[in-house]
Amino acid sequence: MKIKRRATRADVPSMAMGDIAFNLLIFFVILARAQDDSHLQWTPAEATNIETAGHSVVSVLIDSDEKLYLNGQPIGEASLESKIDELLRDFAVGDRTVLLKVHREATAMRFEPVIEAISNVGGELVHIVEEDRDE
Amino acid sequence: MKIRRRSSNLLIEPPSSATGDIAFNLIVFFLVCASVQPDSGRHQTLPRSEETEQKEEKDKNIEVVVKRQVALVNGDPVQPAEFQARLAALLAGKPRPEDKVVVVKSDDDVPYHFWMTVTSQIEDAGGIITLQIEEEREVQVP
Repeated sequence: MKIKRRATRADVPSMAMGDIAFNLLIFFVILARAQDDSHLQWTPAEATNIETAGHSVVSVLIDSDEKLYLNGQPIGEASLESKIDELLRDFAVGDRTVLLKVHREATAMRFEPVIEAISNVGGELVHIVEEDRDE
Repeated sequence: MKIRRRSSNLLIEPPSSATGDIAFNLIVFFLVCASVQPDSGRHQTLPRSEETEQKEEKDKNIEVVVKRQVALVNGDPVQPAEFQARLAALLAGKPRPEDKVVVVKSDDDVPYHFWMTVTSQIEDAGGIITLQIEEEREVQVP
C-alpha cells in the first residue's frame, strides 16, 4: 500500500509584509538623513529678490556654533576648496550651483573664507535666505 | 405580536493586516510633503580671487567697508536707508562693467545678516561685488 506524503504548504505570512516595508522605509530614511544637513541648527538671514535655488550637489553650511559642514558632514576650512572642486569636477558651467547656508549671526571671519573658496573653484553661489517681508 | 429586532453584538474591527500598509502610505505621504519644499535663495556672482599687493594709489572703483552696524561708502558712513540710492548715484555715470566693480571689505565681527543686506543692496544698485580679504602671513624673525 502506498502512503501518500502529506504536502505541507509553507507560506510567508502576508500580514508581515506591511511591517517589513515599514522597517525598510525607516532604514532608508535614516540613511538619507545622514547625508543631508536638515539635522543641523541654523537660522537663515533675510534678503529681497530671492528665487528658487534649483538642483545642487554641493551644500555648505555654517551652523549656530559657527561649525562648517559640507553636505551635512563636518569639514575643515583648509580642505573645503579641494572637496568642493572634487564634487563639481564633472559639472559644466550652469550646473555648478553651490548652496550656502549661513546662520544669520555668523561672523565675516567665518563665512568670507567659505565664499572665497566657492568662488575660487568656479561654484555658482546661492545664499539660502528667507524673503524679507519688511521691505 | 412584537418582533424583536435582532441586535448583533459583533464588533466590527478593521483588518489588522492593513495597519502596516496604512503606516507605509502615511510615511510616503509625509516624505513627499517634506521633499517638495525647494530651497530659495539669492544668487551671487563673485569673481575668482587673485593675489594683489597693496597699492599706494587709490583705485577708481567704489569701496564699501562693512562695519558691525554701519557701512562706509568710499570712507563716508551711510545710513542703511540711503545706502542703495547713494550707490546707484555713484554707479550711474559708469557704463562699463569693469567700472561697476564695488570692492567690499568687511570687519571680522560683521554678522552675516548685515553683510547680506549690504551686498544685496550693492547688487540691486547695479554693482558687481568683489571681496577684499586680507591674507595673514606668518613671518619668522631671525
